[in-house]
Amino acid sequence: MGKYVSLKDFDWALLALLVAISGLGLLQIYSTTVHTKFAGAHVKQFYWLLIGLGLLFFLCLYDYHDLLNHMPILYIISLLLLVAVLVLGTDVAGARRWLRFGGFSFQVSEPVKLVIILLLARFFSDIPRDDVTLADTLKVFAVVAVPGVLIAVQPDLGTALTVVPIALVMLFMAGLKLRYFVMMILAVVLTLPMAVHHLKPYQRARLTSFLNPELDPKRSGYQMLQSKIAVGSGQLLGKGVAQGTQTQLWFLPVPHTDFIYAAFSEEHGFIGAVVGLLLYLMLLLRLLHNAQTAPDVAGMYIIVGVAAVIFFQILVNVGMVVGYVPVTGIPLPLMSYGGTSVLFTCMAMGLVNSIRVRRFVN
Amino acid sequence: MTSSSRSFVVVSALVAAWTLLVVARLLQLQVYRHDSFVRQARRQQERTIEVSPVRGVIYDRNYHPLAMSVQVDSIFAVPGEIPNPRDTAKMLSPILGISEAELQRRLKSGRFFSWIKRKVSDREAKRVRQLNLQGIYTQKENKRFYPKRELAAHVLGYVGMDDHGLAGLELSYESSIRGRPAQLVIETDAKQRWRGREGRPPEPGQNLVLTLDENIQYIAERELAAAVNQFRPLSATVIVQEPHTGEILAMANQPTFNPNRYSDFPPDSLRNPAVAASYEPGSTFKIVTVASALEEKLTEPGERIDCQMGAIVLAGHVIHDHHKYGVLTVNEIMQNSSGVGVIKLALRLGNENMYRYMQAFGFGAPTGIELPGEARGLTKPPERWSKISIGAIAMGQEVGVTSLQIVSIASAAANGGWWMRPTIVREQFRKARSSMPPAPRKVMSEETAAAIRKMLTMVVTSGTAKTAQLNGYTAAGKTGTAQKIDPRTGTYSKRDYVASYVGFAPAESPMFTILVAVDSPRGKIYGGEVAAPVFKRIAEQILAYRNVPPSLPVKPALRQAAWTGQRQPAPADFAAELPSSDWNDAEALDGSGAAMLSIDSGVAAPNFISKTARSVAGESQLQGVPVRLIGSGLAYHQSPEPGSLLRVDQKITVWFKVGSAAGLAQAQQSTGVQAQTANRPKEDQPTDQGAITAPKRQDNPWTSPGIHKTGGATQRSVRPAGVTPIAAPG
Repeated sequence: MGKYVSLKDFDWALLALLVAISGLGLLQIYSTTVHTKFAGAHVKQFYWLLIGLGLLFFLCLYDYHDLLNHMPILYIISLLLLVAVLVLGTDVAGARRWLRFGGFSFQVSEPVKLVIILLLARFFSDIPRDDVTLADTLKVFAVVAVPGVLIAVQPDLGTALTVVPIALVMLFMAGLKLRYFVMMILAVVLTLPMAVHHLKPYQRARLTSFLNPELDPKRSGYQMLQSKIAVGSGQLLGKGVAQGTQTQLWFLPVPHTDFIYAAFSEEHGFIGAVVGLLLYLMLLLRLLHNAQTAPDVAGMYIIVGVAAVIFFQILVNVGMVVGYVPVTGIPLPLMSYGGTSVLFTCMAMGLVNSIRVRRFVN
Repeated sequence: MTSSSRSFVVVSALVAAWTLLVVARLLQLQVYRHDSFVRQARRQQERTIEVSPVRGVIYDRNYHPLAMSVQVDSIFAVPGEIPNPRDTAKMLSPILGISEAELQRRLKSGRFFSWIKRKVSDREAKRVRQLNLQGIYTQKENKRFYPKRELAAHVLGYVGMDDHGLAGLELSYESSIRGRPAQLVIETDAKQRWRGREGRPPEPGQNLVLTLDENIQYIAERELAAAVNQFRPLSATVIVQEPHTGEILAMANQPTFNPNRYSDFPPDSLRNPAVAASYEPGSTFKIVTVASALEEKLTEPGERIDCQMGAIVLAGHVIHDHHKYGVLTVNEIMQNSSGVGVIKLALRLGNENMYRYMQAFGFGAPTGIELPGEARGLTKPPERWSKISIGAIAMGQEVGVTSLQIVSIASAAANGGWWMRPTIVREQFRKARSSMPPAPRKVMSEETAAAIRKMLTMVVTSGTAKTAQLNGYTAAGKTGTAQKIDPRTGTYSKRDYVASYVGFAPAESPMFTILVAVDSPRGKIYGGEVAAPVFKRIAEQILAYRNVPPSLPVKPALRQAAWTGQRQPAPADFAAELPSSDWNDAEALDGSGAAMLSIDSGVAAPNFISKTARSVAGESQLQGVPVRLIGSGLAYHQSPEPGSLLRVDQKITVWFKVGSAAGLAQAQQSTGVQAQTANRPKEDQPTDQGAITAPKRQDNPWTSPGIHKTGGATQRSVRPAGVTPIAAPG
């Protein structure tokens, strides 16, 4: 592996997209919290973003191959941390997702996603392309399932589900036979009723209200309905910054985190919503471009994994806001308020750049 | 790497496809279906409350307010915010006087808004606010207030709880008086807390200025009440009209009501018979018969007609007159109200002409006055007349008329033959309306009108209406005494009559036309006995108020008689009983309740001492005594002194000052007490030569308990018996 590093190859376009999306996020966090007890959240978010950018540049300089070499140990540490969360974590609204270090709270599941990406990338780079066996597939799922289940029992079904697309997309890129995919989908469909049976009551309520939101508008369907009203009443041009009545009058639930895209669509209308969406589309296409031009297979898999996680989050979050997907607690990358999510995304982008600056390797 | 790049194409395509899918969804939500979501958002975020606008003020012709709106509190609940309706009801119940069960029902009805009690007193509102209950709020609402209470009640009408006019001008001018209500939008958050209010303030209603003159209205109401007191009729009406313009100066009815609390009165009191009632007029209708005959040149005032000793045969029926007259001129027919005479004139006219003239004179159709519920009267077309109908109609039977129609035709005679539409709203405030009879229109020639004026003058000077003679002025008019149809038997009643009088004064240049109609008087029944004296009393006071110089020698009688609540005897009677024209007799009246003296063309100076400049000015206007005001504060001296005799247009000079004694006097003044002794100069000013000092008694002749009808609340508070200054109302 070469040591040639070209900082000229740093992906400034990707950084620009990241900053642009984060900027919209900051504006929206300001707008949704300015009249609430969370006022000033955008400043905190801004500091998180600065730290995230620092990490981004740091990871960019760090050779990802070193990271890949340490993966097995990091994976085991991750699993231990997840167990620690279940035992020692702080309860927030009936869920243990946070580890507290001094004054800091820390959501372990976010960095675990990075570890899974790197571990799977290393795994796939070792097997020949277009020759993925069933055994390999099962191994992949085992690697994903253990942390996935640990996260799911926190309970944080949303984040647990994010690890699934990592595996799926990587398998797809590795050229997994179509029939295996069909079998996997069948397996999911068959286990779904069983899974539903094991869902927590609020999770089941979210699911049924998704299927029929008008059934009980005051309870389970409430969030989904309010989100749709917020988006729809934004009309073409939106109601203006801090003018979204759905947001400002508390009809929209958690408008600065999970439903930030609904608040954004309400205040900036169809035009704003589409601009935001296109920024995300450009970000994803840029990631895929970087994956295609990666110096090696491992690098390609890492970027594909990052793209898969980010895309899945956007897909589920925006899908939830517009009523395509049941309500899940998955934040919108770069826009939703929350330090851990910002740090994860920035670190992931740092990894991508670490690969990119080493693409002309000899 | 071909298969790898194919995979990238697939993944990129999937991402792009998903983006398109979301864009399509956004398009659907935000562009195509936005209406529905905007509506849903509004429905949950906004509560709309309608706020009544402030109704316009109704003024008399001199801009004295007769109806106005004041702001009061109404209490409402936002049931969603009330933690415990039972406790809240328990606390509110004793304050508001509503049962706990009823309060609980109101506190639970709806989620966002429920009236608890509307238009509460200040005290109730204050006590509720002191409780500081969660979810209980007050809202300012407008309450209609009639400061003069019963004054012109039937003209003004009244306003219901929702601030909509329900009767009178409040109803017919609702659209302009009410103004435009505002939709107050209240933002509510997801927890049903109120966040803010927005919206335009309501557009206030337009003011309305009437042709009524508050003082004339008051005079009319006072005299009508006196007559009602004396004759105990079912109802009675007075209309005062300005003949040249048709403007109504006063419209009074008995029984009356207080529009501030109209719901406490029986429905009969709320009706306005001046416009809504039609009746057989009797002899006043003879004006129509004679005028028609003159207009058709079928007779002339001096023509002699045989009145056949009071009997005439019509289609086999013998019609008897109330008196047996021989040969009378047309003038004398009117003067003596001969039935046979007018029947003969009507027979010359014939059915068709008679009917045509009735219609031309405005009978059988509403006059188009701005008041609601006007009756059209009843005139049958000639096809439905019997053989004797022409005779009955000639005498004012078999025809239904309204008081307004009668007063209008008398005004036409007074003004030279023009039918003016009776109107009660000043011209610039009038609403255009469709389907009204054309006006003004010439309904009789100048000559006919002059002839009728002359006849009606003779009726007063030497005919059936001598009781309508004015002291110092000429007057004209016609009495009417119509038997009512007994609804049980369908025949004419032996007991119930409509006694009426319509006339104008001064006869040669009429300033006003007055109609007095008394339905079913007791004791006396004739128009000349019951209605004409009311005309006299009203006319004399209006002429004095309007400062009209007398045209006849003034009898040394009372210019104005005191009106006591009991009115025993009535002032007119008592003036007639005065033994002589000796000045000094006036002194003899001292103890008998009379006071304001009039001699030649003079009146006695009123007492202005200790009154405010405002009240002096008002009184001066009412009494027609010019004043000169010097200084400010309270009057401490006047020249000539109270009770002195005044020459025509002689000014009274009144000095005012501000001081502690004056302050005391003012305090008394404000409660209606006359502080006659306060601050009086030690030396009496020399009085005019030959002046008569008015009786020095507490009772100012102009004062009467009756005044409190027009007074505001302050006048009712502390008032020693019978002592109230008659400061011009308002």
